[in-house]
Amino acid sequence: MQFKQEILENGLTITVEVNPSAASMALGFFVRTGSRDESPELPISGVSHFLEHMMFKGTDRRSPFDINREFDEMGAAYNAFTSEENTVYYGAVLPEFQERVLDLLSDMMRPALRAEDFETEKQVILEEIALYEDRPQFRLYEKLMAEHFGEHPLSHSVLGTSESIRALKRDDMLDYFNHRYSPGNVTLVAAGNLDWDALVGQARQTCGHWKEYSVTRDTLETTGTGRTGAIVDAKLLRQNVGMISPAPGAQDDRRYAADVLAAIVGDVVGSRLFYALIEPAIAEEASCTYESLDGTGIFITFISADPDRADRAVEIVHDEYEKFITEGPTDQEMEAARNKIASSATLKGELPMGRLTAVGFDWVYRRECKPLAEHIEQIFAVTSKNVLELAKQFNLNATTTLALGPK
Amino acid sequence: MTEEFYTREFDNGMTLVAQRMVQVSSAAMTFAVPAGSSHDPPDGAGAASSATCWLLRGAGDRDTRGINDALDSLGCQHHEAAQSEHLLVSSAQLGRNLPAVLEIYADIIRRPALADETFGPCRDLVAQALDGLEDEPMRNCHVLMREKFYPHPLGRNPLGTKQSLSEMKPDTMRLHLKGHLSPRGTIMAVAGKFDWKELSKTVEKQFGDWAGRSPEQVQETPAQRGVTHLKKETAQVQITLAWPAATINDEHYYAARIVQMILSGGMGARLFTEVREKRGLVYAIVARYHSLKGHAGMFVYAGTTPQRAQETLDVTVGELRRLAEGVQEDELARARTQLKSALIMQGESTLARADALAGDWYHLGRLRSLEEISSAIDAITVEDVMKYITAYPADDLTTLTIGPDELVLSRK
Repeated sequence: MQFKQEILENGLTITVEVNPSAASMALGFFVRTGSRDESPELPISGVSHFLEHMMFKGTDRRSPFDINREFDEMGAAYNAFTSEENTVYYGAVLPEFQERVLDLLSDMMRPALRAEDFETEKQVILEEIALYEDRPQFRLYEKLMAEHFGEHPLSHSVLGTSESIRALKRDDMLDYFNHRYSPGNVTLVAAGNLDWDALVGQARQTCGHWKEYSVTRDTLETTGTGRTGAIVDAKLLRQNVGMISPAPGAQDDRRYAADVLAAIVGDVVGSRLFYALIEPAIAEEASCTYESLDGTGIFITFISADPDRADRAVEIVHDEYEKFITEGPTDQEMEAARNKIASSATLKGELPMGRLTAVGFDWVYRRECKPLAEHIEQIFAVTSKNVLELAKQFNLNATTTLALGPK
Repeated sequence: MTEEFYTREFDNGMTLVAQRMVQVSSAAMTFAVPAGSSHDPPDGAGAASSATCWLLRGAGDRDTRGINDALDSLGCQHHEAAQSEHLLVSSAQLGRNLPAVLEIYADIIRRPALADETFGPCRDLVAQALDGLEDEPMRNCHVLMREKFYPHPLGRNPLGTKQSLSEMKPDTMRLHLKGHLSPRGTIMAVAGKFDWKELSKTVEKQFGDWAGRSPEQVQETPAQRGVTHLKKETAQVQITLAWPAATINDEHYYAARIVQMILSGGMGARLFTEVREKRGLVYAIVARYHSLKGHAGMFVYAGTTPQRAQETLDVTVGELRRLAEGVQEDELARARTQLKSALIMQGESTLARADALAGDWYHLGRLRSLEEISSAIDAITVEDVMKYITAYPADDLTTLTIGPDELVLSRK
């Protein structure tokens, strides 16, 4: 396992982890942009995600059908995703396709954004918005993020709304693209069985001419609004409740303790929430996860319960969190959590795709190249005192709470 | 790269199959017991699903917490599921922890506590999951489609019904599980880092003296199929279509997989190109292949808003029927590459390999090498594909839609 890195003159960083014993390789462009970077002044809500779709719709050299066909010809596992703060385009291929997949992905990163494709794809985005309307937990997630972050840009919806997407103009998208896809805001990441020298040489050719713009991001820390609300939908049978409390950001060393804390209180099996809610069947789902974000973070708790048991379930979550802040974790809980996290990281790290996102986000958020073994060491270095302090410092029980269900 | 395969058949009817992978430190285990939901008592639908929960509520000398603590301390990522044919228990961890994990699973499978007081909550969780399914029409339509497409009880919803669950009692469940948790036909598949001699010895020690009878043959009644619409005020109309396909042990199996790839292998495949890329009718459209032992199907899903649903159905069905007009050499070439490439990439994942080994043994009674599968895929010609399409035409489509209005399935 070996890290390699190069920064091109226009600011594009190339960062890779070479693993000669892997059977495949994964390669991706990580763009540091997402819904939090969408200006609230312009009606462009959802532009980051819509643009991600448009990136597959062709370049000066390729039609949309060419792009899809070429990926398929390589037998690639490929896709893209957009979040509040990242847009990532990736393909996993056998090593013999390294040159071809880089040629294709780097060409895609300078898209044609043709007007007729823009209108067709707009319909696809509207369908995607409709798809998530039929998924209560996703609906709740978007509304909860908005409720928690209030005026903070992390409140912006990734998908946007049907109205904002219908109103979106191709020129506003182009303008957003020009600024946010500046090479200094993009990282080319690769992991697995790959040829480093060939990769850098080719990237110089395909990405070296990209024009640089200055890019900024507002990364204020926030504790969230702490508000409580409910959305009634009489058609639903289940009451879904989401709760967010503040947590360390992606650049904060306490993030390892935050991972351990979330596993202890809210892993799907064997956690405090499991024994308090799932084992007695007060709720069918109850989990808490830690999400690190740029400059801030969240603990996010989800519950799905019968409507007449949901209030009790929420009370129990608060009681459990209060107790945890007072007493902290047991030694047995610490050992179990550390082992679970290490084991899950090891499994993920055995696949080039798993390493791609880890290596990519290490660089995007922290400008670091860190072997998996060092991450695991830091998980094992977390003490119960660290976890207890963290729960107190960030007040795990200071939640923004939102319910979605029939009552 | 040749694989290191191992198999051992025990006298009690259980088989251990394994693949050693040198480049990894994890080992994944899939334990398939022939006690899936199709084996549920006639009036006890949901039994296998309840069991996936109940089995972990204490076993051997440990209570629920003891079981969880023991598995967690070994970094065990585990998952239990009730499928049609099998009750599946799978777990992934560092290879060096595998022997200790197997000891715990021997308790879970052979010596579960199955206490009266833990049964109620397990049954309740399954009933709640049933309501959750109702709230998610996309997931629900897949479950309902299997119910219509496969013979009963092979296709029935593993979660059972509100009524079957409310009538389920711990006594009858214990009796049912005692009869059905048996080494006869049970497959344990392991992939990753292990020492074969040690693994074989551990499994012998933990499961060698496990005894039980053969599972009874499931009595099948023919599938209902046909066209069904469920009225529901959803944002999108859920469209599912299915027609028979060659099973895994059929000589036409690889042709079936090629057809699936031609329809839906990547973003350049027919359904995505015609329905989404050219017309913008959907976000999600996909064709999947699924096989039980004696029955298999091709399942197509599309989700779209009500005013565009009829057009989506028409274009999709048109594409399925267009298969009979022929396939191109370049489509076949892409399908071959995609299948082979996916196979090699799955070969890097211990979890994916353990599942594949269990599947091979169950359907074929042997393990297929990468070489064997690759050559079989390479050998498929356009002629083979057309022969397959003639033998398994997409014309008598089982159809299920969920949404505000009923759609019209055009006749051929």
